[in-house]
Amino acid sequence: MSALVLIVDDSLTVRMNLADAFSEAGFEAMPCATAAEARDALARMSVDVLVLDVLLPDGDGIELLREVRLSPAGSRIVVLMLSSEAEVKDRVRAMRSGADEYVGKPYDVTYVVEKARELVRVRQLANDDGRSRILIVDDSVTFREELRAALEREGHTVLVATSGEEGLRVAARHRPNAIVVDGILPGIDGATVIRHVRLDAALRGTPCLLLTASDDLGAELRALDAGADAFVRKDDNLDVVIAKVAAVLRRAVTPKSEAVSVLGPRKILAVDDSPTYLQAIAGTLREEGYDVVLARSGEEALELLAVETVDCILLDLLMPGLGGKETCRRIKAAPIVRDVPLIMLTSLEERSAMLEGLAIGADDYIPKSSEFEVLKARVRAQIRRKQFEDQSRRVREELHLKEMEASQFRAAQELATTRAALIEELEYKNHELEAFSYSVSHDLRAPLRSIDGFSQILLTDHSDQLDAQGQDYLRRVRAASQRMAELIDDLLELSRVGRAELLLQRVDLSALAHNVIADVRRLDMGRTADFVVREGLVVDADRHLMRIVLENLLGNAWKFTSKIADARIEVGAMSLPNGNAYFIRDNGAGFSMPHANKLFQPFQRLHSVAEFPGTGIGLATTQRIISRHGGRVWAEGAVDHGATIFFALSRAAAVHP
Amino acid sequence: MTRDRLILLVEDNDDDVQLTLRAFEASHIVTRIIVARNGEEALDYLFATGAHAGRDPLATPELILLDLKLPRIDGLEVLRRIRGDARTRRLPVIVLTSSKEELDVARSYDLGANSFVHKSVDFSQFIRAAHELGTYWLVLNQPPPAAG
Repeated sequence: MSALVLIVDDSLTVRMNLADAFSEAGFEAMPCATAAEARDALARMSVDVLVLDVLLPDGDGIELLREVRLSPAGSRIVVLMLSSEAEVKDRVRAMRSGADEYVGKPYDVTYVVEKARELVRVRQLANDDGRSRILIVDDSVTFREELRAALEREGHTVLVATSGEEGLRVAARHRPNAIVVDGILPGIDGATVIRHVRLDAALRGTPCLLLTASDDLGAELRALDAGADAFVRKDDNLDVVIAKVAAVLRRAVTPKSEAVSVLGPRKILAVDDSPTYLQAIAGTLREEGYDVVLARSGEEALELLAVETVDCILLDLLMPGLGGKETCRRIKAAPIVRDVPLIMLTSLEERSAMLEGLAIGADDYIPKSSEFEVLKARVRAQIRRKQFEDQSRRVREELHLKEMEASQFRAAQELATTRAALIEELEYKNHELEAFSYSVSHDLRAPLRSIDGFSQILLTDHSDQLDAQGQDYLRRVRAASQRMAELIDDLLELSRVGRAELLLQRVDLSALAHNVIADVRRLDMGRTADFVVREGLVVDADRHLMRIVLENLLGNAWKFTSKIADARIEVGAMSLPNGNAYFIRDNGAGFSMPHANKLFQPFQRLHSVAEFPGTGIGLATTQRIISRHGGRVWAEGAVDHGATIFFALSRAAAVHP
Repeated sequence: MTRDRLILLVEDNDDDVQLTLRAFEASHIVTRIIVARNGEEALDYLFATGAHAGRDPLATPELILLDLKLPRIDGLEVLRRIRGDARTRRLPVIVLTSSKEELDVARSYDLGANSFVHKSVDFSQFIRAAHELGTYWLVLNQPPPAAG
């Protein structure tokens, strides 16, 4: 759908002239003579471009601009202000009110249309509608049309050009999202087209795909050398081309929306206190297709430069007020503006004046008495010089960027390789550990079973051949083999909880504790103990692992209270600054605090096996489980005054009733 | 009808064979235990092939006690083949192993084991287990109808 441009000007000539030019350029033009008409149109239609005169019969164009900018859809409308040259203040006011461009009257119609198109395109980039514009540059009709049809089927908008030169012009005007260019073209070849694209600030980010003939072996190298993002052989399936286009589009960096194409329109600021001279310069330069902004003092020039970017500055040396020299000094001291070519104009044909001008930073010097032809040539030269400078700076930046990218890429690659190697090693070790645990589980128990089994058979079937001491030895053999079986089981569990995958879910800790307590009681039905469980304790944790924790802690509490008459075991919680801590408290054998840190190391026992049976692995397993939850476990106790084991699951946020 | 109460024990470890025989002997339930020392032998017995060619393949044991770690054809493969053959697919198979590995338990059930029993190191416990197994599978449990 073509863009709708609203032309608001009270002059019929201006309206008709612009409407014709815009229509010819593919826009839909709608002329309005008054602000009221414009408001009405804006309310009814979706306007893309607004060309707005500052002075309207029924109001101020800048006021209308402000209204537009405040309306919901107004921010995406491109606004070009049109006004007669005299009012520099209007120009500044318009730019500050949100105009995208300010064109002085008399205007250059081509400039207005090109500028509007440029701004619409930049705006479209900002509001990406998801459709991509692909430019195909190829002189072969057959291939071009096949590719166009295929790309359009994919939902792309397709632009075509039959030569490199045309391709660059189309690219500058329409800013495609990707360019597919044939390597061999009648004029400049494909690689050159890509090289030009890479040198243009506005286009350099555009992904380029080079098409090559299948028998051209160096093609890939040349394509990449020229800066192509990908290359495709022409005899590849079209699907391959489509896929590569999709790939480069995905990778593409959106070009800087502010960048302006080197092939786009140019703007020149002329500063002189003589209106006559200004008008003469303006006329001459407009004939050359430049847009000319006029300022009648250094102050006005600086004010304008604060809101508008220009491509070249013509500055009179002798002016009242700020004066050419001081204006030049200030321009050359400003960060971005200082790069704009500045040509000093003076009526003094003196060597000293020229030197003075150049000394304070002017890029060139022209006596006012010179022919306008000289002036035009100098302006052209300065703009071209600036362009070359920009290009070489871009090339340098690009090289620098490429080097950085390459080193970043290498670093990332090294990191990835190292990480992959580490992961591989870790996986290998884990795998080995699993295989080890598996065979421990299977093979280490079998001989123990034989030792225990045959010892018992000896005790039952052959006890008459053994004296009391012999029988006692055999019982010790049995006890030892059973203890070793326990050790194997506990070690396997310790190793398993370290490897098991965590499955976090809401776990009712109180209910789980009741469950485990029932199991623990079954170990010795004759014993009595007072179990106190705080109800409603809920945690986010792995249920299976939390069960192992409670089995270990409650099992310990049960065990270490076995010699107490009024055993009391408590499951509870307390508040900590970062959540809850849970605890299992008993009034049993306890331990001495200086040994507290030993409790959680495997095989560390504070009691003899004869006193209290056990392997010394349970608390190590508990600690491993809690730390796998990102939490912490600690103990408090005193000899003969019981023990309390606390744990906090800081990662799994504790939920209080 | 009196039951044959024949058990096929598939076990390669001679100590374990002795201990298992001894444990079942103590329970006085089992009439006869046939021992296969590896997976191949077990399958030969069940399908009356190889060394057991000529045996009536329809005379199946009432219960199979199957170790997992076996030379050549392992226990899980034996189980797969038992379940894959019409003549044996209904036979009660109890996996009897030292392993407590969850993976072994899961795989055994996946392949259609009827039960998974861990062989305790404590021989007294093992004797109790043998007694309970015998009572349940050979007395209480209704065996599957003969395969036809």
